[in-house]
Amino acid sequence: MELVGEEKKIQALFSELRLADEQAAPSFIGVWNRAQLRTRTRVSPLNFSLAATAFAVFVAVVALALWSGSRPQTPPINQTVAITPVTSPFTPVTPPVTPTTTTEPTPKVITVVEQRQAARKLRAARFAARQRAELLAARRAEIRDATAISSWQSPTATLLSSQNDALLNSLPQLNESVKELKSFLPNK
Amino acid sequence: MDIAELKAELEQYHAACFGWALSCCARDRAEAEEVLQTVYLKILEGKARFRGEASLKTWLFAVIRKTAATEYRRNLLRKLRVAVSSEQVSKREPAGGEVDAAFDRSEEQVRFRLALQHLPARQREALHLVFYEDLSLREAADVMGVSIGSARQHYERGKKRLREILERTEVDYGISWRGKENPGAV
Repeated sequence: MELVGEEKKIQALFSELRLADEQAAPSFIGVWNRAQLRTRTRVSPLNFSLAATAFAVFVAVVALALWSGSRPQTPPINQTVAITPVTSPFTPVTPPVTPTTTTEPTPKVITVVEQRQAARKLRAARFAARQRAELLAARRAEIRDATAISSWQSPTATLLSSQNDALLNSLPQLNESVKELKSFLPNK
Repeated sequence: MDIAELKAELEQYHAACFGWALSCCARDRAEAEEVLQTVYLKILEGKARFRGEASLKTWLFAVIRKTAATEYRRNLLRKLRVAVSSEQVSKREPAGGEVDAAFDRSEEQVRFRLALQHLPARQREALHLVFYEDLSLREAADVMGVSIGSARQHYERGKKRLREILERTEVDYGISWRGKENPGAV
């Protein structure tokens, strides 16, 4: 850049400033070595946060594992699912083959469709069993509630009882004689 | 670039870098040294990586400028935390007294430094990069992260403002800045 007049003056002042700064500048090696030392001793905040996150995740996983281990297991559904061989509609119809003389058992070929059907049946059976269990539990709860209601007694029931309860609550029987009935009538 | 090569290059630019760091830190020597150390640390850790998009000097100056700004903000927050009076934290005080004590220099130089401190940051940066570091306006614009037009404007306004401040101090001190010949002029 070509400098003129005033700019030269400014540059002269800056040059003088630069000379003074160069004399006062710290040595490169010293600054570099201190920076290197800081590199070794410094723990990056990113690394620290990563380590903290990893530790938190680890603790959470361990807690979850312990919790799931101590949780009471639901009784296994004792149910056998009979998988009946199903003829797949996709299997080609083979013509009847004459029996051969070989005695080796033919390996059972389980097609993908059969596997899917079996899995579907198993799922359906599990669903039905779960529904039955839920229904049974609901009925049990209903019975328990009904028992509790029938045996319930008001806390103030004792206040209503008196010595003449037997007289008030009893009714004359139909086959009783008139004389006996008279006992209910007022004395004249 | 290999770290050993980079180290050699950095050593070559060390004095210039320190000068620029001083300018970015309002002539605070300790802070400038801290900034320079942080810059070297960034380079060592690979946080600041030279990709050859600009010249090494321009890149280095841009890193120093950015680091100085970050350090300044950090120091400001630190000061706010310790509840220093708002006057002290709101404005950087020109380190005039320190300058006087540290170096035995001409009165004109002292006035020049104080005048620089009274310039807006952008204008001071533009003047420093052009006159002190001998960068072109385009390179200065790259370092400052502005367009060349903007850099030129800061440069021109900075010159004008500097002249005004120096003339005002001449009146105060009774010295003619314009009339004096400087043998060190380029």
